[in-house]
This record gives sequence, structure tokens and C-alpha cells, in this order.
Amino acid sequence: MEADVVIVGGGPAGMACALRLSQLIDEHNAKRPDSPLSKDGIYVLEKAREAGAHCLSGALLDPRSMLELLPDFENEAPLEAAVVKEAVYYLTRTGKFKLPITPPPLRDHGNYVISINRFVKWLASKVEAAGITIFTGFAGSELLFEKGRVLGVRTDDKGVDKNGEQKSNFEPGYDLQAKVVILAEGSRGSLTKQLIGRFQLDHERNPQTYGIGVKELWELPPGRFAAGEVIYTMGYPLSFHEYGGAWIYGSKENLVSLGFVTGLDYPDPRIDPQHVLQEFKKHPFIAKLLEGGKMIRYGAKSLPYGGWWCIPPVAGDGWMILGDSAGFLNSQRLKGIHLAIKSGMLAAETTYEAMAKDDFSLDILEKFQERVEKSWIKEELWPVRNFHQGFDKGFLSGMLHAGIQQATGGRGLHERYGNHAGHLRMKQLSQLPADGGAEAHIINAAKGDGKLTFDKLTDVYYSGTKHEEDQPAHLVIHDTNICNERCVREFGNPCKNFCPANVYEMVEAADTSSGLQIHLNASNCVHCKTCDIMDPYEIITWVPPEGGGGPNYEGM
Amino acid sequence: MADTILVVVEQREGKLNRVSWETLTGAQAIAAETGWPLEAAVVGSGVGDVANEVAAKRVAKVYNLESPKLEPYTPDGFVAALKGFIEQKQPKLVLMPHTYQVRDFAPKLATALNRALISDAIGYKYEGGKLLFTRQMFQGKFVADVSLTGDSPYFATFQSGAYRGDKVEDGSAPASVETVNVAIADGVIRNKPEAPFKEAKQAVDLTQAEIIVSVGRGIKEQKNIELAQQLAAALGGEIAASRPICDSGWLPMDRQVGSSGQTVAPKLYLALGISGAIQHVVGMKGSRSIIAINKDSEAPIFEIADIAVVGNLFDIVPPLIEEVKRAKGA
Repeated sequence: MEADVVIVGGGPAGMACALRLSQLIDEHNAKRPDSPLSKDGIYVLEKAREAGAHCLSGALLDPRSMLELLPDFENEAPLEAAVVKEAVYYLTRTGKFKLPITPPPLRDHGNYVISINRFVKWLASKVEAAGITIFTGFAGSELLFEKGRVLGVRTDDKGVDKNGEQKSNFEPGYDLQAKVVILAEGSRGSLTKQLIGRFQLDHERNPQTYGIGVKELWELPPGRFAAGEVIYTMGYPLSFHEYGGAWIYGSKENLVSLGFVTGLDYPDPRIDPQHVLQEFKKHPFIAKLLEGGKMIRYGAKSLPYGGWWCIPPVAGDGWMILGDSAGFLNSQRLKGIHLAIKSGMLAAETTYEAMAKDDFSLDILEKFQERVEKSWIKEELWPVRNFHQGFDKGFLSGMLHAGIQQATGGRGLHERYGNHAGHLRMKQLSQLPADGGAEAHIINAAKGDGKLTFDKLTDVYYSGTKHEEDQPAHLVIHDTNICNERCVREFGNPCKNFCPANVYEMVEAADTSSGLQIHLNASNCVHCKTCDIMDPYEIITWVPPEGGGGPNYEGM
Repeated sequence: MADTILVVVEQREGKLNRVSWETLTGAQAIAAETGWPLEAAVVGSGVGDVANEVAAKRVAKVYNLESPKLEPYTPDGFVAALKGFIEQKQPKLVLMPHTYQVRDFAPKLATALNRALISDAIGYKYEGGKLLFTRQMFQGKFVADVSLTGDSPYFATFQSGAYRGDKVEDGSAPASVETVNVAIADGVIRNKPEAPFKEAKQAVDLTQAEIIVSVGRGIKEQKNIELAQQLAAALGGEIAASRPICDSGWLPMDRQVGSSGQTVAPKLYLALGISGAIQHVVGMKGSRSIIAINKDSEAPIFEIADIAVVGNLFDIVPPLIEEVKRAKGA
């Protein structure tokens, strides 16, 4: 099927792109009724059954880009609360120190607490009302190439069974031939990964580094935590060996979003980010806050926080990359939604230019790159370009570097700080204390008391994730011998720890030397992509499952 | 036979598949709009009754393609019969219902004649002398009008439900039926069909079971399922399982209890080696009595069990079967 523009991924970036493009076309058609442009060939592919169902974030929204996109959005969008109060704490095992002043990057007055699920659903309704088609339940499963150009996208095959055989409801994927393919897949996009690999877009870039955010939505007794109240914590339960921290955001109707981001560059392969969140909740400060409350939803998602030096070229022959797929996230402010939206708008402006000139050549599309570099995206990301890399050698040196960078306009001690891909920092079991040492309380599976803390499988239930069971595993392990024979000894199969959804399990087996073999519960997957990122041998590839499958982040 | 529509109706074991009426309704509409004569064909052995049944409808003629080699159905046989017939008659359009049987042979037939096949259409349009068939795309989000190119005969199949079978029009008088004895050379039919069977019996309705013996990972090996089956048989109950068992293929998916399986509420639910993850518990917590056997005394299943047995199920179940049998025998 022929298309003009295919946007892969209906999150904030993709929806903002579609909406901005529609606005520009409307303006064009009002001005130039003699040569109107059509929206018929603009499609958004979204693998979730419903727009927003796979979107997960804290979330705080910096309204800057939305005010540009829809100046009146504050009166219309589902915003849970305006931020009224913020605090940053450093936690020790049982104590807490409140930072006397909130560091400027974490000052949130003027920002909004949102449910990104509800927010994106609302954006989707605007996009559809504007006359742009959103294909929900369809994933982009492959890019179509011709030599150096991206020609389009192939959607997922429907109705394929576990063994790869066609079922009676088989429907092959569609080839959508597009003049431009806009990748807005979110963190660690699977097509973006194909594109970066094929054209070596990571050349001379720092490797992207990621974190995994594990989130629970709680309903608290009335009056416990104000809507619009914001708390950040550093420290416990992490040690100085790990990067990360927690957020607590007060929403309306006594709902509280809390979660913990663990940097996917920790050394101990036994660390379990879902366990980290459970330990965090056991801290007296947090346990007291949550007492008498009820956990109602769960989710997990990776986020790219390597910053400016990790962002690949964002435009090329037939393609553009937006939002988290590109790495537009300010790790110092822990915010990316506003940048994702802005990148979508800039991509729309470039796409509109190409449509108006009927010229989708590289020269035109590359203007997106220029637009980004001239926009406030770069203005915001440049001063923090070295922020996360400063933490490459741990928390204390990170804080030191952050201070020096603050004083030198972001430069710090080097013009460009280097860093390693997170999975390379993982140590083998033989180099680590058997009892877990400083990490003893956050390694391996959490037990859960069923009230304050939960085992992983229980949490996964609250993600609402669902997949057609009879389909090929969408987590492709290229060589399971490595899992069963090598990893089991060297790293103790970290997949079962870093996966927040119990997808990976080691089960007893008669025919492996370790007596264990890997078993996949692919239908538990919440599409966070952590395995694709953190597996120390880089043998796991996350590919989209049959469209429609995945978590249901209603209200998250 | 220029510009004729030929509908190939479907019969199995001498009985007309009712979905053929739907296709015939669609074909009658096309015939009315285009003015093209409508004919029908039945393929099989001893299917004269089916041909007569079809002849009662408003069609110009019915062909009865007969050969002893056409019973039972084989794709090779049907293609051989229809290919020769269509080559000779040269209809403009061949319409068939989109059934499993048609899906089996129609692509081969179209390919053998080097013609295109538009499958699974939900309707047609006749615009400016051009016939278009409507197909669904993106799971019904879009529809596409597909036009025919190249030379006739053109092939198309109609989706079940595209037209109403009860709206098929009767003829004013029965159409004539012409029996065509088809010669199929030896060796043409390479398929040797087995007796038809239904893939497993219809999903087990666990919701109707009064007693369910359910197994979890504690059963260890596939061969141990037998033990649980014996207990279920002794109790007169059904066997069920938690997800890992069905995921491993040790029991069929329709025996799975839990959030991705069935929700049950029997009088007695006997959980053998089931830990009681919430995904399982939501599917059985409404059971009137729950007996759980598990060697892990902290297994969450015990939180909802009426009777909790901490122990090795392989020690407990065999004598339990004997006891049940003795009690029932008494």
C-alpha cells in the first residue's frame, strides 16, 4: 500500500508530529485552495490495542512544547494537577535528609502531574479528529530498504502460531511504502535499532545508556499526599555502585505515582529493579506514606538518559527519528515528554516542507537535523551534555562532576565525557561477594508481603499485560546455549533479575551441563526493552509481538 | 459462454454447504446489475440431489461435475475437474464461498489457469462497466476496492456473511441440470485424504465441572500428569492446570485456569503443586471448597485454601486415589 508519511509509534512524539503536520496542512489548504495537500496518506502505526496503552512515565509534563502546539491545551488536556510543592531527599537505610534547597533542575513549579496514558489518549483523539488515520494494533515489524534509502515499513503478521506456522486467521503484514518513515517508537525502538545498525548511526556517538523505571500507582487514604506534591529521592536502597532514584508524584483523587529508576549500568547481575522498588517502599519514610493504601497498577519501561552525545543523526534518506527513540531526554531534569513533543513538531515542519514542495529528498529531510540543532531542544540538552557520563564511575564522582559542570556551563573537566554501554559494566559472579555485599537487600527476586511489597508475578498482574499465547516468542535469543551453559556460571542469568515482568526463567533441565535451561514466558512481557539493552552477551533481540498484545497502562 | 458468471457451490458428502447460498445471492445481484447470465456448478460424485437443489434457485443452468474420483474431496481432483470445465466453458467470472475447502483448492485452480484470485471479498461494485470487489484491510479498518486486470476468467471468493443466504431468489421454474462426466486420469490425484476429524473436541467447558483436579509446576514432569488424571477419574472430575503446564504443552490450552484461561467455580477445587500466583487464583478463587497440596508451606495458594496440605504430592496422591476408590466402592 502506498503512503506519504508513516509514523511508527503513537506516543507523545508520534502524536505531536501527526497533529502538527495536520495543522500545517490545514493552514496550507486555507491559503492555497488551488493546490491542496491531502492527509489521506498519513498513517500512525501503534502496536497497542488502544492509543496510550503502552505509554508509561512518571509523569511530569513541562508544558513548553504543548503551549506551542496547542496554546490553549491547559484548558482541554487531561492534567491531573499543577505542581505545588517539591522536595528532594537523600535516603539512608532508615533515615532521610532533605536537601535544604531543591536543585534548580528539579524545580517543578509550572509543570503538571499527568497520566501519560490519559494524555496520549487525548492527543490521539485530536489526531483522529484532524483526519489522520491511527492503526492501533499494528506494529512496525521491519523497515523496507532500497540501497541507502528507507522505502517503508512492513507491519506485523497476524495469526502465526508458536512454531511459526500460519493459523486459520493468518493475515500477512502490509508493506506500507512511504515517502518518509518517522520513527517514534519510544525507548530502544526495534526499527530504530535496525536503522542504527544498518547505517552505523552510532558511529562517533557515545553508546546510549538507559535506566529502567519501575512504577506502581497507589491509592492512598485521603489527605495523605497532596495532588501536585512532588518528591524525589536519592540514595537508599541503592548503594554508591548504582545510579538511580525515586519519584513520588501526587495526582488527583488520592492517587500517587511512585517509582524507581535504576540505571542499567549496575555492576551486580543479581540486582533486580523490581526488587529495588519493593525495598524502597520498605524504607520507614515511604512505608509510612503508603500505609493503608492500595497498589492498583504496575508498569515498567526503559528510558534513554545518555544525553546529547548519544543521540544518533535524526534524519536521513527516507527517515527521521523522534523522542525517546532518538534519546531526547534531559537526565538532569528527569524529563523527556516535552522534548519528544517538540521533536515531533519539528519533524512535522520538515515533512510539511517536503509535502509542499513534493520533494522528499535527503536534502529536504535533513533539515530536521538542522531544526533540532537550532531549537530549544539543543539549548536545553547542551548544558547537560556531560551530566550522566559524569556518573560513569559511580555516585560520588558523579555528584562532583555535576557540580563542576554546573559551574562551567556543562563542560566540566572534559569537553566531551565518554561512557560505556551499561551492560559492559556488569561483573561476573566470581568478582562479587557471594552474599551480595552492599547490594544484599536488592538482589534476586523480591518476596512481597502482599500489602506494601509484592513479588514480581503479582506486580505483573497489575500491568494488565496480555498477549495471544499461540505465537512465536517475540524475545529472540540467538543462542540459548550461552544462557544454559555459560551465562548460568558467569553472570547467573541476570535476565531473570532485570526483567520486571518474569519473562525469563531458568527451569530444571536434564540435558544441559548446568541442569538448568532458559524458559520464556513471553506473554508476561510489558515491552520495556530492558532485556534487549542489559543482556551482557547482547544475544536477546526484542521484536514486536502480534499487534494488540502488551500491557494495559490505563490511568498510568 | 461469454460473459457468464459461474458459481461453484460447495458440497460435502452429498450435502450442500449453506454458505453457498450466500455466494449465490451475491452472484444473483451481480447478474442483475450486469445482465450477465448466472450458472452454477456442483463438483463431486453422486451429487445430483445437490444440483437439483441449486437448480430451484434463479440460475440459468446447473452443471453437475461427476466422477467417482471426486469423492472424497481432494484438491488435486477438484482442480482437475474444474480446470478442464472452466477452460472449455470460459466463463467471465467464477465465484465461490470463502470456505476452508475453497481456500484449499482455489489458489491452485487459479494458478493452474494462470489467473488472479480475489479472495475473501465482502462485496462488489459495478462502476462504469467495471467490476470491483471489496476486501478488508488492516483487520477491517480499511476496505479496498480491487479491480480485475488481465484476461477472464476471473476468480473471486465471498466471505461468509457477506450476503444473506436466506435472500437467495428462487427461479420461476427449475433450471436445467447438465451432468458432465469428468475424466480424471490416473495419477492426477496425489492426495489421499484420511477420514475427516475435528481438531480436539470443542473446548472443554470447565465452568460446568463440579470437581476439578488442577495441576501446577509441582507435578514436575509430563508423565506425572497421568497421576492427576487418575485422581480426577476416581473423583469423577475434570483435569485442569495452571499456565506453565499448558504452556509446556502437557495439557491443552483449554484446560488452563486463570487470567489467561478459564474462570471456574466448582464445588471442589483440588490444587496439586500449584503455588497460587494471582494470575491463577483469579480464575478459581470462587470455588466452594479448595484443597491445596504443596510442599512449600509459604505458597500463596494456602491463603485461599480451605484445607491446606503441606507435603509431597507424589506421597499423598496415590493413597488418596485408593481411598477415593474405596469410599466410592463402599
